[in-house]
Amino acid sequence: MKYTTFNQKNNNPLTEPMFFGNPVNVARYDQQKHQIFEKLIEKQISFFWRPEEVDVSKDRVDFQKLSDSEKHIFISNLKYQTLLDSIQGRSPNIAFLPILSLPELETWVETWSFFETIHSRSYTHILRNLFGDPSSIFNDIVENEEIKKRAADISKYYDDLIFATQLWQTLGEGVHTISGCSYNITMRELKKKLYLCMNSVNALEAIRFYVSFACTFAFAERELMEGNSKIIRLIARDENLHLTSTQHILNLWAKGKDDPEMVEIAEECKEEATEIFLNAVRQEKEWAAYLFKQGSMIGLNKEILCQYVEFIANHRMSAIGLGQPFAIKSNPLPWMNNYLNSDNVQVAPQESEISSYLVGQIDSEVNAEDFGDFDL
Amino acid sequence: MVAIKDHETVQHKAQKTLLESIELKEIPVHFHCREGYCGACRTKLIKGEVEYLTFPLAYIDDDEILPCCCYPTSDIEIELA
Repeated sequence: MKYTTFNQKNNNPLTEPMFFGNPVNVARYDQQKHQIFEKLIEKQISFFWRPEEVDVSKDRVDFQKLSDSEKHIFISNLKYQTLLDSIQGRSPNIAFLPILSLPELETWVETWSFFETIHSRSYTHILRNLFGDPSSIFNDIVENEEIKKRAADISKYYDDLIFATQLWQTLGEGVHTISGCSYNITMRELKKKLYLCMNSVNALEAIRFYVSFACTFAFAERELMEGNSKIIRLIARDENLHLTSTQHILNLWAKGKDDPEMVEIAEECKEEATEIFLNAVRQEKEWAAYLFKQGSMIGLNKEILCQYVEFIANHRMSAIGLGQPFAIKSNPLPWMNNYLNSDNVQVAPQESEISSYLVGQIDSEVNAEDFGDFDL
Repeated sequence: MVAIKDHETVQHKAQKTLLESIELKEIPVHFHCREGYCGACRTKLIKGEVEYLTFPLAYIDDDEILPCCCYPTSDIEIELA
């Protein structure tokens, strides 16, 4: 079906599925099929921040004091975070917007992606402060084999869905031969690709980001690179929300609260979805080995980070009905909670909803007793 | 009263969230955001009722609650993850 930027059909968005129904026409939020996405938009917008608000100048001094192995850990971690947000800043838009059918979900995806671009901008802010010219760091992201391996696996599901969607939107369902390769495009196949892609995004937001957060906060635990940690704390708060959204989508499908065909697909693809998760776990462990190849740092080493990957995977997988495949029960990095707790994320008073700070407010509630001592 | 499977029973303190009441007894509960949007503290509610003062954004199943932002309105029985 050809995509249209304003679908002229007068459809009822309350009866559309999340994906592969009619394209969205009117961007209205007074009513929602799935209220949760409207709530997520509100929450995400209330989190708005700018990287320039965080002073990272002290990090430059700290960075010079790090050992070579610690510098390797810090910079590699930052490169990986840059890669993840480079992908996330565009991919949900390109992959999901053309096939979405609900206005609230459409705006959620746009809001989500926009925040990933703030994250990308903050990596430039951090790196520009550490190096006069950060070009070599950015260039290495597309040359470093360890990073490229991960990038290929993350973008694979997105690319697959995007290409199939393009074929479907230009040629419709059927078997299409493009440059000698034959592609079978059916609605069922498209929905399967969407399901797997959503699982891969979920694993990215659920596990991959958290491995990188653990590395950042391990420096902050030693009172090093604290400007960077402040920024990553804001990023972690956003990512938590993004993770919540993909968990909601997967569960809405699996529990039959959206498209009935997706219930079957969720059941059919359960093994593949589990494999996507377990593969992410394996890759993150390999990444831990690469990070600590020149030596570990105080408070964090390869073993603890691998245990943390398993611990967090248990939690994330059970949230989407995939069970808890690992034996680990207690959190090997309990201090992580201090950094992920939203109370510890500093915000400027005028930007938060602290009522005592609001000025010029009018109390519009008037009761009969307010006129009690009023004589005419 | 809050009965917790495999742990001692906790007295719920007024004005405190369920999570804070449990933590007073030093029973470990997994948490991150403490604001209802991350879902780290997801807990099974076996019996009883709770209410939320802020909308719980994180995904929870029909028989699950978020201790970080809920308040019991009756005696409850829960099972920690």
